[in-house]
Amino acid sequence: MNMDAFTPWLDALCGRIDGMVVACSDLAQRRSRIDLPSEELTTLLEAAKGEMGFVHLSAISCVDWIEEGEFELVYHLWSYEQNQLLSIHIRVARDLGRFQSVYDLYRPAGFFERDIHEMYGLYFEGAPDMEKFILTEWNGPPPMRKDFDSEAFVGETFDWQQYNPEWLQEIVAAGGGVVVPPTEQRFSQRKKVDGPDWSGDHPQAKRGQE
Amino acid sequence: MSRVFDELTNFARARSLFILHYCTGCGAIELPPVMTSRFDMERLGVSPMVTPRQADILLVTGYVSIKTLKRVMLTYEQMGSPKYVIGICSCTVNGGMYWQSYATAKRLDEYMPVDLYIAGCMPRPEAVISGLRELMKKIEQGEANSWKEYYRNYDYYLGNQQHLFGDQWQTPVDVIGEAEHYGLVGDGTRGEHTALLEQVQHPLKPLEMRL
Ligand code: SF4
Repeated sequence: MNMDAFTPWLDALCGRIDGMVVACSDLAQRRSRIDLPSEELTTLLEAAKGEMGFVHLSAISCVDWIEEGEFELVYHLWSYEQNQLLSIHIRVARDLGRFQSVYDLYRPAGFFERDIHEMYGLYFEGAPDMEKFILTEWNGPPPMRKDFDSEAFVGETFDWQQYNPEWLQEIVAAGGGVVVPPTEQRFSQRKKVDGPDWSGDHPQAKRGQE
Repeated sequence: MSRVFDELTNFARARSLFILHYCTGCGAIELPPVMTSRFDMERLGVSPMVTPRQADILLVTGYVSIKTLKRVMLTYEQMGSPKYVIGICSCTVNGGMYWQSYATAKRLDEYMPVDLYIAGCMPRPEAVISGLRELMKKIEQGEANSWKEYYRNYDYYLGNQQHLFGDQWQTPVDVIGEAEHYGLVGDGTRGEHTALLEQVQHPLKPLEMRL
């Protein structure tokens, strides 16, 4: 197939599908990003698979935008005829928690959707199997959602070893061992200390400007 | 006379140890150099073994996810006594750098008795060798008895396992029966958790294979 057919096809597609935004960069000429309203997804996938040979769905990734109340789904498609990578971005309402499966177009989607359902709790209608996939021992909420507090869960579920047991104190008294209490080690518990503020401008960056 | 005999068995045991070749976390990377010619653990009489039933040492080489822990438990219970558990890596001590992860178990010694920890992220082969020597010393002196702990305090360990795996958790091994066989039934062998186990226990069926 003609390798140059891709760009005109993409342009024509913009006319056919409402609300489709294409972004390409000069740096990555074999990659295009398409932003799309979620109802148009199947139309686009059918066109991409049928007309340009995008037969390989290599992954579906999911991003939880909790503040906007949306899940972003990214479908990564590859065409062996065009040697092009398409990333199709759509947004789904988080509250609704359902979306349609693309299993009938791409068989591998069954696995990806099952995985997303397990990790984010987004249910795919029409997928062959929405059972547990990898987290077979898991009964809690979907752990990759932003509102799941892993640290709190860990604190409730597990007990900890003592951080400064007696035998370690003996070693430290004899001049050995390294004792760093969790309050200094863990980012979330670390106390604010005086000194360079690493959150803003990096001191080294400032030095460069002088 | 029996003490002499005990000492002799301990001496012999300490010099013929088989490590079960079952690796959980990233710490397993340090084992190939320990086994092969550079550090050569066979000169200490330690060599790898492929099945749990013939192994003496269970090396837990790093973080255990809850899913893996289930398999580790099944493996541990299948090993014949006396058996020794070594926890390699900080992850087995207190969760290590995965302390915040929902998926990994934090303290190995809540689920099975551990003879020896080798800390480090990850410990160098020298540390592993010195840990093994330490274990050999303990065995020779008759102090490496953590496997008896498991029978004596089965209820505690089972309780922690049920906490993670749910109330339906059961293994094919009859631990209480074994404890009776070894004469190691203690105060902590039976309890509320084993009572729960007896309630839910059912004959095991082969796992259904499914894609
Ligand atoms: S302690 Fe470090 S090397 Fe060992 S399993 Fe944990 S992360 Fe891996």
